[in-house]
Amino acid sequence: MTSHTCSVKSLHEQLRDTLGSGKLTHPWCRQKVSEIFDLVHDVSQGQAGPDHLDSILELAGQLTDRGPAADCRESGEFVTAFVEENREAFQSHISTHTCPSGHCPMLTPAPCQMACPAGIDVPSYVTLVGQGKYAEAVSVIRRDNPFPWVCGLVCTHPCEFMCVRGRMDSPIAIMDLKGFAAEKSMSARQYANPEPLPDNCRKVCIVGAGPGGLTAAYYLALRGYRVTVLEALPVAGGMMMVGIPRYRLPREVIDREVAMIESLGVELRLNTRFGKDVTLEALRAEGYEAFLLAIGTHGTYKLRIPGEEDLEGVLPAVPFLRRVSLGDHRMPGGRVAVVGGGNVAIDAARTSLRLGCEQVHILYRRTHAEMPAHHEEVVEAEEEGVQFSFLTIPKEIRGENGRVTGIVCVRAELSEPDSSGRRRPVPVEGSEHVIPADAVIPAIGQEVQSKGLEAFEQVDWTRRSTIRVDTVTMQTHQEGVFAVGDAVTGPATVVEAISGGKKAASAIHRYFEGIAQPALPAVPVRRRRLESFEVPGALKSDLKRPEMSLLGRERRRITFQQVRLGLTDQQAHDESRRCLRCDICIRCGKCVEICRDKMGIGALQLGYLDFDEPGPTDMRITAERCIACGACATNCPTGAMQITDEDGYRVLSLCGTVLNRLQLEYCEICGEVLGPARYHDYIMKRVRDISPEMGSRRVCLDCARSKSGGRHAEITPPRE
Amino acid sequence: MSQYYLFQDQKKCIGCMACVVACKSRQALPRGPLPSLIVTIGPRKVGHLPRIAFTFMPCFHCEDPWCVAACPTGAMLQRSDDGIVTVQPDLCVGCKTCMSACPWGAPQWNPQTGKAVKCDYCQDRVAEGLEPACVTVCPTRCLHFGTPDQIPEIRRERYARARAQDL
Repeated sequence: MTSHTCSVKSLHEQLRDTLGSGKLTHPWCRQKVSEIFDLVHDVSQGQAGPDHLDSILELAGQLTDRGPAADCRESGEFVTAFVEENREAFQSHISTHTCPSGHCPMLTPAPCQMACPAGIDVPSYVTLVGQGKYAEAVSVIRRDNPFPWVCGLVCTHPCEFMCVRGRMDSPIAIMDLKGFAAEKSMSARQYANPEPLPDNCRKVCIVGAGPGGLTAAYYLALRGYRVTVLEALPVAGGMMMVGIPRYRLPREVIDREVAMIESLGVELRLNTRFGKDVTLEALRAEGYEAFLLAIGTHGTYKLRIPGEEDLEGVLPAVPFLRRVSLGDHRMPGGRVAVVGGGNVAIDAARTSLRLGCEQVHILYRRTHAEMPAHHEEVVEAEEEGVQFSFLTIPKEIRGENGRVTGIVCVRAELSEPDSSGRRRPVPVEGSEHVIPADAVIPAIGQEVQSKGLEAFEQVDWTRRSTIRVDTVTMQTHQEGVFAVGDAVTGPATVVEAISGGKKAASAIHRYFEGIAQPALPAVPVRRRRLESFEVPGALKSDLKRPEMSLLGRERRRITFQQVRLGLTDQQAHDESRRCLRCDICIRCGKCVEICRDKMGIGALQLGYLDFDEPGPTDMRITAERCIACGACATNCPTGAMQITDEDGYRVLSLCGTVLNRLQLEYCEICGEVLGPARYHDYIMKRVRDISPEMGSRRVCLDCARSKSGGRHAEITPPRE
Repeated sequence: MSQYYLFQDQKKCIGCMACVVACKSRQALPRGPLPSLIVTIGPRKVGHLPRIAFTFMPCFHCEDPWCVAACPTGAMLQRSDDGIVTVQPDLCVGCKTCMSACPWGAPQWNPQTGKAVKCDYCQDRVAEGLEPACVTVCPTRCLHFGTPDQIPEIRRERYARARAQDL
């Protein structure tokens, strides 16, 4: 919902105009309209409760029915019609405390939260980590994502790409803080489930125990459903378990978080393949009324080159990684060639190294810059000794005696960008060469293995052989059958699967309850509105994104030990303080504009506030130039900029970042706070021409008034 | 100085504050700001008797206003035709420099809007040929508004009468 208007804000403004115009002349009517205005104001401020909407309609009804004048009744009718028409937006404001259009300043969500597919309230948990409240941080995360630890280690963290701090220096280490909080609270045995609703005796069957299926299981179990998850493999976790290698995501992490979900009463049936070990009829007979397909993409694309089918030693990446994850640690061959440039290719290459392969080669047909794999992963692979051959296209796999001996490749050049902006690799003629290899691991893509799902006759499939769903509800074309995860999106990320699982859980609940399904995508929910840390401006600028310690290179090459060793307490707390708290400051830039253009002072240099053209940011110059007039704070729509008097100082802060601190002066007569000397100097300079001697005495407003009032009083002696 | 003059006959004023209330209510002000104010002096012993006096303190609309000079945004304005000093809310950013610059504390702070407010002699009423709100509500009719030549010579007359009785 990225509309350009907000109906709540629009009603707020219309009512304010009506009240201000003086059109409503009847006092009873004015009173009612201003009561409605107050309620709408609460909604736009995020202070509304569940009864606000009804109260607004009730008051509007009174105006319509009992209004003594025509304009009264018109106002009532207008409000009723407007609210009824935009009921969903009003309810969304009340229940999510979020205004996605950004028109209600107090409810504008932070970019990180908007970027998160699961819609996690990032600023709140980042702040809680800084406060040392790890378990609370985890419970905030788990409102939207039941896998904080997994995602704290392997998320693709789209939040960090949107992080506003990234415009200043580097984004907040949001993912690492999540992993830190989860590890800390798990270790302290404070990682807990919320209390589920009482059992409602309704049964849901989920096919596939990956992140999508388990997420749906978690949120359904919390709502009181009886959930059974079928899993073909002997382990739960799906691709988290058999796709992502252990050195990135230790098995214990998945086991513990799955166990948390199981402890809500979710039944896991391992080694049970749908359609083979159990049929749809049998499940229906058991009483399952809704089904969720979360079968992932465990099939692999073929290279479609000679030698691929008949030679021993050709081992696609997905079965290879699965085999290793399930405990088969035989190496595929001494020299390994991995074909592909995505994360799976990197995973396969690094896993091969750890199994003892002497030489691991990644062949990719474009260049380093075009690799879809994450930069960090590529760097770590390079460090461990993986070799890369870019602009290399495999043509044929060669072998002797039925075993792979090498792979014939041609070199490529990148074409000029085509209409889609992509540069295609064009083979260079006569550039054939052989790369010797004992094993070839294709890692060029995955597909859904739909075998067994024929039982769901009405489920519709896309041309890419994924399951077609309504992206808001995750419902398939068959009633009561939903689908999530890679099986819907094609190979994607853990967090996208989680996002789908959460949507499906809510849609399945609505399906059971017979409630209308939402027409618009869910809006992220603001879970908390926490105080920000008080941090001096200089420190705020100086804090750097932490460098996480990694396992030693030698050990990385030979073991599956976790590579990234986590943040220290100090690193995590500092990182939390580096956050700019975009859930409070909506970066409207009013403060900068007023200080520079209206006041002519230019003490705020906050270039990061500008999304399109970020300028330089310097939090130090404020202390040099600011006169502490407070105009920025007065005009801040969200209270992010604050000016307060504390311990003899006037302090200007932006989301807790102390930008300026000036000593206060006091009224010579009554001792009332006056303001800092620099503020008075500023005024004196401006009024110098009128009264050069003024300003020698510092007197407050009230004293000035009563003094001059006294001077004018005519208390004359009575006549004798 | 503005071309208008607001004269308070202190002898008649009973300190009922009707003018203060009328001023606030006309500008729809919240708790806090008092663009016009009755300053109470005393009670003080004068001779053998206790005396109290009330001074009406609106804005003096100075010839050379400090507030206008201090205002960095041009929101505080002295009207060139009649000299009324008034603040334009659209331009005011709430820096409070006018309040600090005025030696009499005439500009006041409206916490609801985050802007300065002050006595503008009810300029819109004046434009319609009416008197300012404070003047119209005064039960003792001690407030007089007009151009200086219209102001009754109350003090002179009173003085003259007192002298005459002495004779």
